Amino acid sequence: MIALRDVVVEYGRGVRAVRAVDRITLGVPQGQSLALIGPSGCGKSTLLFAVAGLIRATEGEIRIGGELVAGPRRDTALILQNAGLLPWKTVWQNANLSLLLAKEYPAATADAVLAELGLSDVKSRYPSELSEGMKRRVGIARALSTSPEVMLMDEPLASLDTLTKERIQDLFLKLWARHAFSFVLVTHDIEEAAFLGQRIVVLSPRPATVKAVVDNPEMGKLDYRESSAFRAVVFRLRAELERGA
Amino acid sequence: MNRAKRAGRWFVDRVEDRSVWRHLAVYAASILLLLLFWEVASVVIRALKGGREYLPNPILTIREMVRLGPLLFQNFWISAWRLVLAILIAFSTGYPLGLLVGHERRLDELISPMIYIVYPIPQVAFILILFLIFGIGHPVKVAIVAIALFFQLLVSARGEAKQISLEHITSVISAGASRWQVYRHVILPATLPSILTSLRVSVGLGMAFLYIAETTGSVDPVRGGLGSFIKNNMYSTGQAFAGIIAMALLGLCLYIVIDVIERIVCRWTYTARRPL
Repeated sequence: MIALRDVVVEYGRGVRAVRAVDRITLGVPQGQSLALIGPSGCGKSTLLFAVAGLIRATEGEIRIGGELVAGPRRDTALILQNAGLLPWKTVWQNANLSLLLAKEYPAATADAVLAELGLSDVKSRYPSELSEGMKRRVGIARALSTSPEVMLMDEPLASLDTLTKERIQDLFLKLWARHAFSFVLVTHDIEEAAFLGQRIVVLSPRPATVKAVVDNPEMGKLDYRESSAFRAVVFRLRAELERGA
Repeated sequence: MNRAKRAGRWFVDRVEDRSVWRHLAVYAASILLLLLFWEVASVVIRALKGGREYLPNPILTIREMVRLGPLLFQNFWISAWRLVLAILIAFSTGYPLGLLVGHERRLDELISPMIYIVYPIPQVAFILILFLIFGIGHPVKVAIVAIALFFQLLVSARGEAKQISLEHITSVISAGASRWQVYRHVILPATLPSILTSLRVSVGLGMAFLYIAETTGSVDPVRGGLGSFIKNNMYSTGQAFAGIIAMALLGLCLYIVIDVIERIVCRWTYTARRPL
C-alpha cells in the first residue's frame, strides 16, 4: 500500500522556492497499478522521486506499507528513464546491483529473473553492447532482483520504437501478474498510461496537482490494445490533458 | 583475479585471430619509419653544416648504446624507478583527493581556490627549497616529479568528478548505495579512463621534471640517472643521444604498462560499440 497525503515538494528555500508538487493525495492498494500522466516538466518525476525516498517532501506525508518514507527502501525499486545502467558493469552485475551493494550474493532466483526477461545469453556483456530494448529489460531485471513490493518507474520505455515498447509492456504485465508487486508508472505517453494503469491520475502543469482520476478496470485483459474500452480510456485521457491547456 | 583472467583470455583470443601480430608489425613499421626520418634529418643537417655531425645518425647512436650498455642500463634503472615511484605517489594521493574535491561541494569551495593559486606555479620554482629539505640524494628527485604530477592528476580528477552523470549516481543511491559505495561503484570507474589518459600525459611531463631534477646541482655519472648521464655527455653527441634514446624507451615502456593496465581495469571501454 502506497499512501500520499497532502504532499508538497518545493525546490530551493524562502522567496526563491519553486513548488513542483502541490498538495497531492492519492493511494495505491497492494498489488495494484497507478499511472501518472501529465505534460513534460509538470513535476511528475519529482513526485515519483519523493515516493522513492530520494527527495524529501516539503509538507505532507508519504507512507509505504504504513511506514513513513525517509530514504530509499529495500522493498521499493526504482526504474529510471534510461534504465540507469552503469556502463562499467556487466548485465549480471547491473541486474543484481542492489544485492551486490548489500553484500549479498545473488541467489539462483537472480538467474531466473534474467531468464524471464530473455537476458541469459547476454549476462556477461556490457550495456554498450546491448540494444535499447535490452537495456530497458536489464533495468526491469534490476528492479525485480530484490523481489520488491513496490515498483516505481520514471518513463521506463521513453524513446523506444513502438513495437519494442509494446513488447516490453506485454512482458511487464506478465511479470506483474507473476510477482504481484504494486507499481506507479510516470509517463507522458497516453497509450502507455491506458495500457498499464489500473487507475490513471492526470496531473496539471507545474506545480503538479491532481486534475482528474480515470479508472481503467478492464486493463490487463487479453488483446486490450485492440479493445474499444482501451480506445475510450485513451480518448478520455486526451480530453483531460487538453482541458484548460 | 577474474579480471586478469579475462584480460588473459582477451590476449589469447587476439593472438589466435592474429591481430596481435598485425599490431606488432605496425608498431615495428612505425619505429622503422621514425628511424628513417631521423637518418634523413641527420644527413640534411650534416650537409647544411659543412659535414659536421651535430645530429648523430641512428646507427652511430645504437652502436654507442651497445658500447655504453652496462652504464646506460644502470642509469636507466635509476631513472625508471624514480619516475615510477613519483607517479605512484602522485596517483595515489592526487587522484582520490581530486575525486573528493570534485564531488563534495563544500570541500570544493574550500580547496579549489588553493589549487588555482598553487597549480599555475611551475613547481621547479621550488627546486632550491626542495633540495634544502630533501638533500641531494634520491628523495629530492622523486619529490620534484611527484609534486608536479600530483597537481596535474588532482586537477584532472576534480574536473572528471564534476562531469559524472547524475543518472548514474541516482541509480546507485536508489539501489541502496552508501556514500562510500557511490565512490566505489560510480565515481571511481566513471573517471578511470580519462585519468589513465592524464597519466599518459603525466609520463611526458614527469620525464621533463625528472630531467631537470637529475641535472640540477651535482652530476653523478654512474648513479645519477639518465638526466645526469645526458648532461655529463653533453659534448659527445653520440653518447648524449644514447641517453636520450634510453629516455624515449623508458617512456615507451611506461606507455605500454599503462595500456595494459587500461585493458584490464577499463575493459568495458574495449567492447564492441555496436548492439548485438
